[in-house]
Amino acid sequence: MDALNNLMGGFAHVLGGGAVWHALWATLIGIVIGALPGLTATMGVALLTTLTFGMGPNVAMLVLVCVYVGAIYGGSRSAILLNIPGTPASAASTLDGFPLARQGLAGRAMGISTSGSWLGTLFGTLILALFAPTFGEFALQFGSYEMFWVAMFGIVIAGSLSGGDPLKGYIAGFIGLLVATIGQETNHAYARFAYGNGDLAGGLGLLPVLVGVFGVAEVLSAMRGPAVKAVSSKIDSVIPRLSDVAKYWKTILRSGALGTFIGAMPGLGEDIAAWTSYAAAKRASKEKEKFGKGSIEGLMSAETGESACVPGAIIPVLTLAVPGSAPAAVLMAAMMIHGLNPGPMLAITAPEFIYQIVAMLVIADMVKMFYGLVLVRPLLWILLIPRERLMPIVFVLCTVGAFAITSRLFDIWVMLGAGLVGFILRELRFPMAPLVLGIVLGDLLDKNLLRGLVLSGGDVTPFFTRPISMGLCALTLIAALWSIPSVAGLLRRRKPAEG
Amino acid sequence: MSEVEADSPFDGEKAPASPRADLITAAVLFVVGVAIVQQAIAMPRFVEQSGTGLTAPGIVPGFYGVMLALLSVVLGVRAIGRGGWAVRGPVAKATGDGRRLGLAALLGILYAGVLVGRVPFWIASALFVFAFTTAFEWDQGPERRARRMIEAALIGIGTGVAVMLVFEKLFLLRLP
Repeated sequence: MDALNNLMGGFAHVLGGGAVWHALWATLIGIVIGALPGLTATMGVALLTTLTFGMGPNVAMLVLVCVYVGAIYGGSRSAILLNIPGTPASAASTLDGFPLARQGLAGRAMGISTSGSWLGTLFGTLILALFAPTFGEFALQFGSYEMFWVAMFGIVIAGSLSGGDPLKGYIAGFIGLLVATIGQETNHAYARFAYGNGDLAGGLGLLPVLVGVFGVAEVLSAMRGPAVKAVSSKIDSVIPRLSDVAKYWKTILRSGALGTFIGAMPGLGEDIAAWTSYAAAKRASKEKEKFGKGSIEGLMSAETGESACVPGAIIPVLTLAVPGSAPAAVLMAAMMIHGLNPGPMLAITAPEFIYQIVAMLVIADMVKMFYGLVLVRPLLWILLIPRERLMPIVFVLCTVGAFAITSRLFDIWVMLGAGLVGFILRELRFPMAPLVLGIVLGDLLDKNLLRGLVLSGGDVTPFFTRPISMGLCALTLIAALWSIPSVAGLLRRRKPAEG
Repeated sequence: MSEVEADSPFDGEKAPASPRADLITAAVLFVVGVAIVQQAIAMPRFVEQSGTGLTAPGIVPGFYGVMLALLSVVLGVRAIGRGGWAVRGPVAKATGDGRRLGLAALLGILYAGVLVGRVPFWIASALFVFAFTTAFEWDQGPERRARRMIEAALIGIGTGVAVMLVFEKLFLLRLP
């Protein structure tokens, strides 16, 4: 009953002060950003964070949640119409979305995408509302030793799964952690790696780095690659069919659960949620042969999975201050900028905030559904904007975004540097998610490792012997070992023999 | 329209980097890792303040430096195993156009590193958008070039003015 009252209170709190107007424009911007190839949800949330500086925390969070939800959904527009995922999360949607569009069923494909995405976010939000408060209370038992392992687990799991090569994932994670050490540390205010430079002593701002890695690097990648030829497509009715939802309800539930679970794992994100949901749906399907050729079930599973991942990725942000995905990492940074302190203490200091986030997600989901029905033809027109005209505007917005937070020209140089390094790392096939997670978790890991060592008088055994620490350490080791091909292969070979 | 193959994070996003590129990367990262360890060791330890030295600022970056150096050794050994040491190792296919990349990077640096802060922001942005669009549309040939340049100028001015109005006037943010 308390939870229901809190939820009602959350809606009442969020819905005041022109919330609907903010939700309408922010979700629209999110969908457009997501739909445009080259602009990602992470970049969208990072750029829009700049616009929210003058807003109250609640309105700011509503705007950013709407951008996040909208961008993940928007990616499917270009995936279906152009066979190009608008965001990495929508890559799985191209497999069946584009074949459907080529069969003259683009409208139906977008209807499936809308219904799957709407139900996915709703499912994930329900899980967030049900479990985040309980998990938040459990997380109160986490001390320095446990938080150290949470951060390590995040880096290892993100490194293992967010790219094709776990080794490069780990390296990217440690590069991110190293970037986070630049500037004054907390114990003695000693400026690490500053070389007498006052700007460096202040540390590298999270937002300029993220805008560089996701914005500038994206602009460079987009301008380097071959030109994308846009196609026009006939659009049939985009109204979602109840029969599609009723027929594939098991797929929707499975994808929703998988998407939310993967979202809650630190650093994995929407693309992995979509691919996992798609693979699981294909395995369980009675129509396997249709997958990849225009399967409604395949498209539904990918859309539900990626959208369920959004609330899932916010669960660890609220309960542990550990982001579940790259956009969630920026959202977490925005929460901190606005004076909201996500993490275990949130259950005590502002338990109502969890329900306010639930209310924001539901509002964003409803607005997304609305746009899914009315915004098809204008989006088709936006998708035809050539990158030669779009990318310089994105670059201008990146510059504003990097500068606005502290009004330092130094941050623009940080953005440029991060953009160039991010581009080179991408070209060398280093995944970006562990890098971002490393930058975000660097402070958490740094503080808790040193605090733990001080508390134990230099004894490292509490890191391994406290019950929760032991469990987290075991999980981290298993994740690391699993990523070694020979170990994983050995386990896979032994399994059938045992059976 | 050529179909673009969907990227799966499990399959690796694109073609893997060449073993030679991995070997060079590993060497660079190893040097960075060792340099970080060396600098971490050189950092003050504040033993008098903490009594134990356990809050020494170099502990954490030193740990990361060691990990980076170790992982880069693994990357290097793997690259050698895949032929990265061979004189004629497998060469990754060049993707995209290096000239376009260089032009985009150069214009970006000129704008963000040189113009911004010295010229009013809306003018700097208008110039950048115009130059960027014109440069990348130049290869489309002389036909309708003048029209494309006028459009680029209008987009540039529109961007500069819109950014100023939205960010400075509407959302009350400072622009560079």
